[in-house]
Amino acid sequence: MLELVHLQVLSAALFSIGLYGVLARRSAVLVLISIELMLNAVNVNLIGLGAFADRPAESRVFGQILAIFVITISAAELGLAFAIILKLFRSRGSVNTDELNLMKW
Amino acid sequence: MNASLAFLAPALPACAFFVIVLFGRWLPRGGAPVAIAATAGAFVVFVITLLGMLSDGASAHSIRWFEVQGQATFTWGTVIDPLSVVMLGLVAFVALLIQVYSWSYMREERRFGWYFAVHSLFAAAMMALVLADNLILMYLAWELVGLGSYLLIGYWWEKRSAAEAAKKAFVTTRIGDVGLLIGIILLFKATGTFSISGVISAVETSQVTQPTLNWSLILIFLGAMGKSAQVPLHVWLPDAMEGPTPVSALIHAATMVAAGVYLVARLFPIFDAGSGILPMIAVVGLLTALVGAAMALVQTDLKRVLAYSTVSHLGFMMLALGAGSVGAAMFHLLAHAFAKAALFLGAGAFTHSTHQTDIRRMTGLLRGMRLTSIAFIASALSLAGIPPLAGFFSKDEILLAILDGHLGVVFLVFALIAVVLSALYTGRLLFVLFSSRPFVPEGDKAARGREGGAKAHAEPTPGESHAVPHEAPLLLLLPILILAVLGAVAGLLAFGWTGSYSGFGAYITLGHDKGFHIEPWLTALAFLLVAVALLQTWRSYISQSDPLRSATAFLAPARRLLERKLYFDTVYQWIVDRVVVTAAQVVGLVDRAVVNDKGIEGQGILVRYAGAAMRYLQTGMVYNYALGLALGAFFVAVVWWILS
Amino acid sequence: MTIQLLAFYAAAAVAIVGAMGVVLVPNVVVAGILLLATLLAIAGVFLVVFAEFLALTQVLIYGGAVTIVTLFAIMLTRTGELRVHLDNRQKPLAALVALGAFVLLSAAFLASEIPTRAAATSVATVGSAGGSTGFEYLGEALFTRWAVPFEIASLVLLVALIGAVILTRNGTPRDRA
Repeated sequence: MLELVHLQVLSAALFSIGLYGVLARRSAVLVLISIELMLNAVNVNLIGLGAFADRPAESRVFGQILAIFVITISAAELGLAFAIILKLFRSRGSVNTDELNLMKW
Repeated sequence: MNASLAFLAPALPACAFFVIVLFGRWLPRGGAPVAIAATAGAFVVFVITLLGMLSDGASAHSIRWFEVQGQATFTWGTVIDPLSVVMLGLVAFVALLIQVYSWSYMREERRFGWYFAVHSLFAAAMMALVLADNLILMYLAWELVGLGSYLLIGYWWEKRSAAEAAKKAFVTTRIGDVGLLIGIILLFKATGTFSISGVISAVETSQVTQPTLNWSLILIFLGAMGKSAQVPLHVWLPDAMEGPTPVSALIHAATMVAAGVYLVARLFPIFDAGSGILPMIAVVGLLTALVGAAMALVQTDLKRVLAYSTVSHLGFMMLALGAGSVGAAMFHLLAHAFAKAALFLGAGAFTHSTHQTDIRRMTGLLRGMRLTSIAFIASALSLAGIPPLAGFFSKDEILLAILDGHLGVVFLVFALIAVVLSALYTGRLLFVLFSSRPFVPEGDKAARGREGGAKAHAEPTPGESHAVPHEAPLLLLLPILILAVLGAVAGLLAFGWTGSYSGFGAYITLGHDKGFHIEPWLTALAFLLVAVALLQTWRSYISQSDPLRSATAFLAPARRLLERKLYFDTVYQWIVDRVVVTAAQVVGLVDRAVVNDKGIEGQGILVRYAGAAMRYLQTGMVYNYALGLALGAFFVAVVWWILS
Repeated sequence: MTIQLLAFYAAAAVAIVGAMGVVLVPNVVVAGILLLATLLAIAGVFLVVFAEFLALTQVLIYGGAVTIVTLFAIMLTRTGELRVHLDNRQKPLAALVALGAFVLLSAAFLASEIPTRAAATSVATVGSAGGSTGFEYLGEALFTRWAVPFEIASLVLLVALIGAVILTRNGTPRDRA
C-alpha cells in the first residue's frame, strides 16, 4: 500500500539532491534550477500530507492550496532571479558564482 | 522693615557676577559698576535686615527646595539673628569698601570686569554662607567661597607663582572641606536633618551618641581649620598674597578666613555638647596664634607679615571659641576685620606709590603719605592691643574668656606669650616700615634674594624703584580711613551701654555669654606686656639694628627655623613629592599597564586580531555562504530534535 | 503491490534519477531537459495521490513556463558554452551535507507520528457534497476562504513581474534620462 512515508522520503531525497545542487554548482543558473528542485520537494510533502492526513476535507485541502502558493511564489522568484542573473551577466560577463567574489575580505 | 528680604544680600552680587560674566564686554568699565552697585545693594539689604531684626527680633525664613519622601526635606533659607546679621554687615561693608578701593587700584588691569565679577561672587558666597539656615546650603556657599578665593588668588594666572598659590589655597582648604562634608553627612545620618537649628536641638536633646557627635565635630572643625588657616593647614594663607592686594584684604578681613570661625560660632551649641572638642579647638587656636605670631617676626615682605599676623589672630579667635566664648571670638573677628582690611589696603597704597613690597626698602612713608600712615599705624596698634583701640578690648575679652572658662592657667600664660609676640612683630613692622632709612642688613642679601625676590613680582613693579611716596588718590584713601576709624572705635561696642545691650558678646550670643565685665589685673598685665614689648622694639630701633635681632635675641636659635616657615611647606612638599607623587605613579602605572593596555586596549587588540584571523571566512563566494547556511540549519534541526 | 504503489515507484524513480541528473550532468542544456523530466514525474506523483489540479498546474507552470524560462536563461547567459568545471571546489563537502540532510529528514519523517489514513483520498471523495469533483472543491476553497491570500499572491506576482522588467532593461534610469 502506498503510504505517506513514501512520499515523504521522496520529498527528502529531492530536497537533498536540490541542496547538493545549490552547494556544488558553479553556474548561477544551475543553482536556481536546484532551488526549483528543493521547492518541488516541499510541494511533494505538502500534497502527500493533504492526501493522507486523517483530517476533514476542509483541512486537508490546505495542503494543495499551500502548494499552489508555493508554485506561485517560486514562479515569481524564478522570474526575478533570472532577471538578476541576466543583469549580472551583462555587467560582469559571467554568471559563475566563484567569480562573483567582490565581498571578499 | 522686613528681615525676610535678607536673601537678596547674596542674591544681588551673585546676579552681578552672571551679568558681568555674560554681558560685561558691552558694559562700561567691564561691568564693574554693576558689581559695586550690587554690593551697595547688599549693604542696603543688611541695613533693612538689621532694622527688621532690631524691631522684630531674631527670625528664620526658608522655602522648600525639594523633599526626599519620608527621608529629608531640603530648604533654602536664611537665619536672621545678631550673629548672622553682624557678619552680613561686616561682609557687605568691607566688600563694598574694597570694591571701591579696587576701582582705582585695579584700573590698569586687563581683566578689570572679571575681577569685579569674581569679587561679587566671592562676597555673595560669603553672605550666603553667613545667612544659611541649613548645612547643605552652608556647604554650598562654603565651596563657592573656596572657588572665589581660588579665582581671585589666581587672578594673575599668567604668573606661575600666582597659579601655584591659587592651587595651593584650593587644595589645602579642600582637605578640610572633605572633613566638613563628611561631618555634615554624619550629623545628618544621626539627626535626619540638615537644618542648623534642627541639628542643634537634636544634639541638645541627646539624640546623637557621643562618639558620632565627636567624630562629626572633629571633621567639621577640620573644615574650619582649612578655611580659617589654622595650623597645620595655614600654609595657603601666606601664599595667597600672590593675589591682588585688595583681594588679600577681602580674604583676610571678611570673607574667606572668617568662614571657619563663623562656622564654629554658628554651630557652637553642638561643639559645646561634644566631649573634649572645645579644649582641642583651644589647643589648635593657641598653637596657631603662637606659630603665626612667631613667623610674622621674621618676614620681610609687608604682605607676608600681615598674612602671618592674620594667621595668629585667627588662632586667637579659635582660642576664644575653644574657651567657650562666641562673643569674644566674634568681637575679635570684627575688630580684626576692620583693622586688617585697613592694613592691607594701606599696604596696597604703599606698594602702589613705592613699587616695593619689602618693608626694609620702603622709606619716607610717614612724610609722603601721612594720612595712610596714620591709619596704618592705628590699625596695627589696634591689633597689637593698645587702648583705646578696638583690638585692645577684643584681646582683653579673649583673655578674660580663657580666665573665666574651663581652660587651665597654662592656656592663659601661652595666650599672653602670643600677645607679646604680636606686639613684638607689630613694633618691628612699624619701626622698620616707617623708618626714614632703608634696612638692608649685609648678611641678609641672600635671604632677600630668595624670599623677597620672588615676592617683588607680586605687585606691578615698574623700573622706578626710588620714587618719592605720595598720598594715594581719594578713592584709595577713603576706604582705608573709614576702615581704620571703624577699627579704632569698634571697641565701644564692647561696653554694656544700655540695659538691653550688655556688651557685644552677650548681644551676639543672645545672652549666652556674660555681659561686659573686666578683670583689672588681667587687663593691666596684658597692657603692660604689650607696652614693654613695644618699648623693646623701639629701643632696638634706636640702636640702629633690625629690631628683631636684638629684641628677640631669645628667639635666635629658632630664627632660622622661623625663616623656613617652621618647615611646614618643606614637609608638605616632601609629602607631595615623595608620597603622593609616588603613589600617583604607581596608580598611574597600574592604570596604564593593566587597565589601559590590557583592559581597554587589550579588548580592541583582541578584536582586531580576531577580525584579522576571521576575515578569511569572508571568501566572497556565494556557495560558501550557502554551505554555512545549510550547516546552520542542519545544526539547529538536530539540536531542536534532540531537545524535543 | 497495487497499481497505485507501482505508479508511484515509477514516477518517483524518474523524479529521483532526473533530479540526480540535473545536479550531476556536465552539460547545462541536458540538465535543463532533465529538470523537465523530473518536474513531469513529480506531476505524476501528484496524480497518484489524487491531486489532479496540482498535477495539471505542475505540468503547465513547471513543465511549460519554468523550463522554457530556464532554457532561455541558459542560452542568454551562455552557460551552455561552459562545459568544464560546472561544479565548484566544495563539491565533496556539499555531497556530505546533502547526504546528512537526507538522513536527517528521512529519520524525522519515519519517526513522525502524524495520524494518517490507510489510503490516499481525494479531497472530493470525502467532501460534504458527494457530487463535486476535486477541482470544484479546491476552487471553492481557494476563492472563498483563501481569497485574500490568493489576491495577495497575485500582487506578489505583479510586483515580481514589474521588478523583473525594470531589472532587465538596458542601462540605468539615469543614463536614459
